[in-house]
Amino acid sequence: MSAPALTNRPGAALETILSRALAAGAILVAFVFVSGLVYLLARGAPRLVAFTTLPFPAQIDGEDAFRFALAASLAALAMWGARRAVRPLLSAAVDRALRVAAIPVALVAGLALRTHLPRFLIGMPSETEPGGGIGPELFNTVYLAVLSTAATLPIGIGAAVYMARFARAKRWVAALRAALDTLASLPSIVYGLFGFLVFVVALESGYSLLAGALVLALLNLPLVVGITEESLRAVPRELEEASLALGATQVQTTLRVSLPHAWPGILSAIVLAVGRVFAESAPLIMTAGTTVSRANAYSLDPLRGGETLAVHLWYVNSSGLAPDRAEVSAGTAAVLVALIATTNLLAARLAGPRKK
Amino acid sequence: MSGAVSLPAVTESSRDVDDARLLAPGPLPARTRPRWSDMAVRAAVLACAVVVVAATLAVILFVGRTGVHGIREVGLGGLIAGTTWKPEAGVFGGLPLLFGTGVSALGAVVVGAAPAVLAAIWVIELAPRSVRAVYQRVMEVAAALPSVVYGWLALLLLVPRMDTVARLVHGESAHVGGEGLASAAVLLGIMIAPTVLLLSLDALARVPSSLRDASAALGASRFQTAFRVSAPYAWRRILVAVFFGFARAAGETMAVQMVIGGARRLPANLFSPATTVSAQIVMDMQNARPGTPAADALFSMALVLLVLSGGMVIVTRALMRRTA
Repeated sequence: MSAPALTNRPGAALETILSRALAAGAILVAFVFVSGLVYLLARGAPRLVAFTTLPFPAQIDGEDAFRFALAASLAALAMWGARRAVRPLLSAAVDRALRVAAIPVALVAGLALRTHLPRFLIGMPSETEPGGGIGPELFNTVYLAVLSTAATLPIGIGAAVYMARFARAKRWVAALRAALDTLASLPSIVYGLFGFLVFVVALESGYSLLAGALVLALLNLPLVVGITEESLRAVPRELEEASLALGATQVQTTLRVSLPHAWPGILSAIVLAVGRVFAESAPLIMTAGTTVSRANAYSLDPLRGGETLAVHLWYVNSSGLAPDRAEVSAGTAAVLVALIATTNLLAARLAGPRKK
Repeated sequence: MSGAVSLPAVTESSRDVDDARLLAPGPLPARTRPRWSDMAVRAAVLACAVVVVAATLAVILFVGRTGVHGIREVGLGGLIAGTTWKPEAGVFGGLPLLFGTGVSALGAVVVGAAPAVLAAIWVIELAPRSVRAVYQRVMEVAAALPSVVYGWLALLLLVPRMDTVARLVHGESAHVGGEGLASAAVLLGIMIAPTVLLLSLDALARVPSSLRDASAALGASRFQTAFRVSAPYAWRRILVAVFFGFARAAGETMAVQMVIGGARRLPANLFSPATTVSAQIVMDMQNARPGTPAADALFSMALVLLVLSGGMVIVTRALMRRTA
């Protein structure tokens, strides 16, 4: 960019040194994170690949269904990876056939493998003895994400549609924006205290997954509203005008033209929100509790309490007594990080350039 | 069909809205009679907006009311200036908590935010173009990692090294260790770096390329352009990024709780165990019975975090109002 004649000016040598130092520093920063991630996954991997070949009978209500779902998802994931790896070698017809066959194959694999999953992934956690697993925690994490998204999704999209399309009163929009900014800047521990006051103290409902899910839904609202609103505003004006010119009302235009067009952005917002549900721990300790009960570990009752993977990782480190808690932590952290990295890459894919 | 469509009244009706450009195409009287289904959708969407505002007010009111109640019970002076936090004995001196939060968050800004801003400048202004996408993806994943994972990694990798440093600084026999303020500050610095970096990348990417071109045309090197044109142009947004990092560090809970040692008194030095507002809240809330002074005092301490994030919103808005 700079003209070669000017490289002899005073200070050029210093600049070169500073530039190189800057580059080295920036690469070091990235290296810290990448090596941390690699260390984490490498440390957790042995615990994860400790397959059990013995049948491991289900003992709790719902355990069999959970194992089936987990085995089917893992099989589907493996097939997706394999298909991506060999896709250049396949003809279009074979590729299509594989895609059609994927779901039944995943279901059959789920049935066949459900008693042969890694013990760590499906076992019950143990407070004092070695060999504890994370089955209920994995289930709670996913179930909590479903519950939380069910609350965030309608309210978040509704508020974004209001802001982007229907709002007329300046004051209301300003109030809404101030509210969202405030929510976005609150530390998660304050959400936890709020959830504790509302659900545990005022409603006397005790620790429950529902309380945790609603608190996390609130925490995720600024993110979902922000991205949805942005995606709605990016809808080409011509599309909406064309719809209006055909006689559609503004509501019809929003529902049938704007929202479908903004859908990829909204999806990526949802995926990011799910990632935050996976990661969050402080609010959950105060609303969903830190325990797993053997009786209803895989129950769909949202009013029971239960810990997620993130909370489990903290609990094992701060109060766990099991002799193998370092390995349990490593495995839990690796699963958690794998889940979050997957959701993040998925979000980037969804939000990326549209296929057309 | 013909004749039912009247002309759009965009210009007339969008005058009273916040930003007419963004509200296109504006409300339209497309049919003479309003359809009930349209009305229902409008009402539902408005209800969602009301829920968001109401929920925000509820958070502030619930936490604020309990916090103020706590201040009345145990006294403001002790909460701010008292040097011992011992809820089981009815002693609520909040200074160690406030001190720990303040020092660890400031330390995090020094350790994490400054390198993050410099790295962002390198990535946008000096690095090969292909670096940016990779760098950004790594930082996005790093920013999304759970704080408990950071805390656990710090227990394994950071705390033992900090222990060595502490003994080098204070001698073998001193009462110092790896768990303490210094570990918390370094860990928080590492944790806020990706967020600050991503926000700074965004700030620098908004610098118009015409400015860079003009600077280059005047004979400036890329280094000069970076530090004398781009960084000064983007400084408000970068400052917001750093403030945001500070607020995140001050509010961070689980990771800090895992490495700070949990001593409820003023630390003697950087390597002695300490505590922070949020770490103490998460520890004590597990045992405190709601409605007791011990629980209410924790809410009073949480007010500090609430005020801090309120200040954060005000500062951000003041800084952003002047950016185009």
